[in-house]
Amino acid sequence: MSMIFMPQDMDWVCEPCGERMESGKVELTYLGNAFHVELPVCPRCGAVYIYEELALGRIREVEQLLEDK
Amino acid sequence: MDQKELREWEARCIQEEPPACRAGCPLNVDARAFVLFMARGDLDAARAVLEKSMPLAAVTARLCEAPCEAFCVRRDLGGAIAVGGLERLCIRDTCPKGKIPRLPARPRKVAVFGSGPSGLTVAFDLARKGYPISVYHLGEKPGGWLRQLPESVLPPSALEEELQRLGALHVTFVAVPALDCVLVETHPADAVYVGQDDTISPDLAALLDSPDPETMALERPGWFTGGMEGRRFRFIDAVSHGREAAVSMDRFLQNASLTGSRVPLRCGRTDLFTQTFGVEPVHRIPPEDPSGYTREEASREAGRCLDCQCLECVKHCVYLSGHGGYPKAYARRVFNNAAIVQGMRQANTFINSCSLCGQCETLCPNDFSMADLCLDARRDMVREGRMPPSAHWFALEEMRAAKDTQSALLRHAPETDKSAALFFPGCQLAGIRPEQTLRLYDRLLESEPETGIWLDCCAAPAHWAGRQDEFKELLRAMETAWEGVGRPRVLTACSTCLKMFREHLPAFGAVSVWTLLAENGVQAASPRPPLALSDPCTARHDTQTREAVRSLLAGLGQPLADLPMSGELTECCGFGGLMDNANPALARKVAQARVAQSTADFLTYCAMCREQLARTGKAALHILDLLFPDAGHPATEAPAGISARRVNRRRLRNEVLARHGLDQAPREAWEDVRIAVSDSAAALLEERRILEDDVRQVLYLAAKGGRCLRHGTDGRRIAAAVLGEVTFWVEYRDTAEVFEILGAWSHRMRITGGRI
Repeated sequence: MSMIFMPQDMDWVCEPCGERMESGKVELTYLGNAFHVELPVCPRCGAVYIYEELALGRIREVEQLLEDK
Repeated sequence: MDQKELREWEARCIQEEPPACRAGCPLNVDARAFVLFMARGDLDAARAVLEKSMPLAAVTARLCEAPCEAFCVRRDLGGAIAVGGLERLCIRDTCPKGKIPRLPARPRKVAVFGSGPSGLTVAFDLARKGYPISVYHLGEKPGGWLRQLPESVLPPSALEEELQRLGALHVTFVAVPALDCVLVETHPADAVYVGQDDTISPDLAALLDSPDPETMALERPGWFTGGMEGRRFRFIDAVSHGREAAVSMDRFLQNASLTGSRVPLRCGRTDLFTQTFGVEPVHRIPPEDPSGYTREEASREAGRCLDCQCLECVKHCVYLSGHGGYPKAYARRVFNNAAIVQGMRQANTFINSCSLCGQCETLCPNDFSMADLCLDARRDMVREGRMPPSAHWFALEEMRAAKDTQSALLRHAPETDKSAALFFPGCQLAGIRPEQTLRLYDRLLESEPETGIWLDCCAAPAHWAGRQDEFKELLRAMETAWEGVGRPRVLTACSTCLKMFREHLPAFGAVSVWTLLAENGVQAASPRPPLALSDPCTARHDTQTREAVRSLLAGLGQPLADLPMSGELTECCGFGGLMDNANPALARKVAQARVAQSTADFLTYCAMCREQLARTGKAALHILDLLFPDAGHPATEAPAGISARRVNRRRLRNEVLARHGLDQAPREAWEDVRIAVSDSAAALLEERRILEDDVRQVLYLAAKGGRCLRHGTDGRRIAAAVLGEVTFWVEYRDTAEVFEILGAWSHRMRITGGRI
């Protein structure tokens, strides 16, 4: 799952950093499996934004695949 | 589950047993499939069914005396389906299905003496297996007595065509002046068959003693016979002899046992159960022209077929019918799921979706229990560490929350230091109807002032989830707590708690509060229009409680509307067995199917049943609405929902503590976070199983850490927090007084290279 996931609306600012979210590398893990993806990330503090569509779509799908593996 | 256990499971489901007609056919023709194709007017497909099992189908279908008809389940409901007549139309109006396949040639030779139906059957069956066959016959052409039949019964051309097909299968016909002893004895074949349904010489007849009735073998090795005098049906019994002899001859030629693993003729015996209750008689349709059916008549006659199936459990269960199979097939599905080493376990959700309600076991003529099958499978999954963590997560969280210090409580009645009885309302009643729970407690105190109260969960979710170790531990803790208050008799208002206690903590001597109230009597109230009483599935085998509830309702003067699946046959609301957790969409369908069974408003005595039924939009009452009309809730009231249930349990505990003059549990700091949730946002939280408590905690933690995402232009904010196994995200607007909730979502995947 080495992919780039960005929401349509990227106009989000990290508080209190005051930095606009940018595409950045993130590691996600579930049930012992690690995935390297690009998600919206605060360039200062590294805060990650997992947007609704991603959580309920691709992430849920992968969670279920791993649970049934 | 090992292979042996799988076989035992499979053997209990009788759906794959043959229908009576097939069991009554000596050739094992699938008459049910044949008739159903005839009903649809698909004569080619119908012929293919005949050709699959019949030798020389063009002859056999014309002459078959249809012994199957004697076993037809329609027999006493208008007359057996006229399978014989349908066969004749089918064979008359269709053409053979191409070349008959033949296995690679075998070296050992077979000789058949006599060309009556039995001899031709032996030739047909063994020729297909690759044996070279010589058929010795009297007269110019083979066929024996078949050649004497009138053309209207068997046209010579039909017989000729079948004989040609035999020729194509390497069957050689040899005309001889006599079928006598010398001919047979001097023949070099490896196996011989003498068809006594043809004219054989007296010296040969004298040589043939009675064959073994199962194998048609004579004492002399390699000799077989059939078609003896005294057959019930002249034609089809001869064919049957030929078929059984052919099976034996094939085994003999391969040096195999003639009887080992041999499937005996069923003679109509089958374990298939077919429900005929409510089936209207429809009279047999005779052909207008005595020479045979027209296609239209045949279609109507075949249309009377009951399509015998068992499916007793499947017909009544949305879960079983929705997965396209029946218990026997499901047992294999469950077995295969466990056997997967690499790849996807596709039946996990299936296994976790059963409500464990036990209706199938009650309906099944053979007591097949999908509940036992699925619960065993869940236990295996948990033990082997392959249970999907999300499958039962929410229910287990609910259970643990109902058991934590914020919600659970065990106390004697105010101003007493012992308990003769202990009221255990159940976590769902406490969460759904907290005020009524207290009213019920007060009523119990009137009868027995030394009635303590125990707010807790009976641990059913751990049991249903297959978590045996956790379940045992919780039971042990409950037993210890109960012993600590002097081992009083436990009174429950929840059928699930009652079932759990009776089965796993029998020392509790648990009884239903409804039984107790019925014993004490109730005053008549103003009755409502008849209500459809839906027994909870956990009361299926609890006749005492079911009768007590009916007695209470009779005492109240409340009439009941008819509800077909009631009492022992009652249906689950969709919550049982954690179906609602593992498969919420199915749980909705189950509840929809349940409420569709009556136009009357529903009534139940399980708080969760009321919740699930009301979720469909159906008007539904809890029995407490009738027992305490002044504290009654409207039948049309929306279900409480997951957030309110959690808060209500805490509130109830605090109210009980207040009655004792004790301080309430200290509030968590996040409980004071003020949120505004619109109806649409509330529905979204409910569907996504996100509690308002979760939302408050996320917002509290975000505020405490001073962290969130702010939209660049419109003022929306997003905060996130990891609570237990799950990461929650909340989208909101931060007004001065309150957080206006716009949405929320969650995931289980963890962010390890980054932060939130």
